[in-house]
Amino acid sequence: MIRQPQAWAPTLFFPLLLAAVYSSQFSKAVSLPEFPYPDVTFLDFILPACVIQGVLFGSTNSATDLAGDIENAFMDRLLSSPVSRSSILIARLTSAFSYGLVQATILILVFFAFGAELSGGIRSALALILITSFLSMGVGSFLIAIALKTGSQEVVNSLFPVIFVFIFISSAFFPVELMDGWYGQIAEWNPLTWIIDWTRVITIEGFSWKVLLQAFSVIALISLAGIATSIRQLKRRLAMAS
Amino acid sequence: MTSLSSYWSNQWLITAAITKRGLLRMRRLPSLLIPSIIMPIFFVIAFSGSFSSVVQLDGYDTNKAVNWMAAWAILQGSAFSGLGGGGLTATDLENGFFDRLRAAPITPASLIAGLVGYSITRATLPTTAVLIVSFGVLDADMPGGILGFVIAYFTAIAIAAVMSLFVLGIVFKMKTLKSLAVAQVVMFSMMFLSVGQAPLEAIEGWLYHVAKYNPITHVIRMGRQGFLGDVTWAGTQPGLISIALLMAGAGIWARGCYRKVDI
Repeated sequence: MIRQPQAWAPTLFFPLLLAAVYSSQFSKAVSLPEFPYPDVTFLDFILPACVIQGVLFGSTNSATDLAGDIENAFMDRLLSSPVSRSSILIARLTSAFSYGLVQATILILVFFAFGAELSGGIRSALALILITSFLSMGVGSFLIAIALKTGSQEVVNSLFPVIFVFIFISSAFFPVELMDGWYGQIAEWNPLTWIIDWTRVITIEGFSWKVLLQAFSVIALISLAGIATSIRQLKRRLAMAS
Repeated sequence: MTSLSSYWSNQWLITAAITKRGLLRMRRLPSLLIPSIIMPIFFVIAFSGSFSSVVQLDGYDTNKAVNWMAAWAILQGSAFSGLGGGGLTATDLENGFFDRLRAAPITPASLIAGLVGYSITRATLPTTAVLIVSFGVLDADMPGGILGFVIAYFTAIAIAAVMSLFVLGIVFKMKTLKSLAVAQVVMFSMMFLSVGQAPLEAIEGWLYHVAKYNPITHVIRMGRQGFLGDVTWAGTQPGLISIALLMAGAGIWARGCYRKVDI
């Protein structure tokens, strides 16, 4: 992160730009009938979504680095050294988690500086940071699996639009209740919508253990599936190397 | 007189050859083209779907979000296409081919015009794709009729030309493919700080003032008018003036940066 600011700067810039633009453009949308939170500002409404967006964009970094290591043969050197094989995967997952943690903290602080409010105070802020960091690790684990399978930075980077699609077809920037037809239906089924909505409950209505556990249960399922896929791909690569 | 006309006809041929080279590269590397078509299609679907209810607010002048968002997606696609000439030049600069072009008897204007030609030709593809999806899938309206389509295409081409010149300037200055990331940030900031997704009446705070004076606002209004009603001179003139000013500014910027390629 310190050596390559160009890798993380856009993942902070774009969520903040979207937050700044949307909170001005759609500030009057909270007055629409059926808007679930008519008493909050649009900035407060999109805060959790923008943090999740930034963290998900950043979750590609760990996988890109791993793919880079495979491309430039550093991975081969690692495998020829007496390094525990599982530590290769654990290090990348920890990196995705830590990256999400730092990024979420920075984003929330910037939001606070611009007048955003969290009704649950510090507990809600910590819950948001933890949810997004674990989500970064969960989604990152899928990307790590793809990096292990393809060994190509280009392929990992090309998945960026897929994350973009998942974020947009969710309740990230507008409530599902106000989306029409099939689009609203797909958004309702998107697991990201559930996580964003639960996070929104914590930041707007106040901290709740029940809601936190609901969010973590979905993230745990995503992470388990992602980590299992990563382990499978790592084993495949190790078999190819030996 | 004959030699002068043959000089100009040669320059035109060079411009056409550079445009053709870009188009051939696009055919050979479809991976370059697919995102620039897929993303605008996704934009029109996503923006029309996510923000389907915002048209209930004042100022949208339509009852379907797709009528508002289609023009926005078209301009996003055109701006992406504007990166095409810059990407080609950055690759040429990195692998040394650009030095050979500069050593050849080509005027800078012909070279730049060829690259802009490639970008604007490329812009017609996402524009057509967005229009097909908007009308074929999302049930958009065009009360402006044929003139509405013409003005939408004209705006797309004009934005691609402006963005292409702007990106070329950045690429000439930085001489690397990484400069495209910088160009994208500036380009999309300009696009987002406008009436792309919401009318001025709906915008509040600092963005209202920025969007009001952003020339892209007038350009988007010009391209959008056929989707909302009749195409009028009053709706077209500010857009044309903005395009002329942006084109002049971006052209001077690109030409000035070209002079400094060797520095």
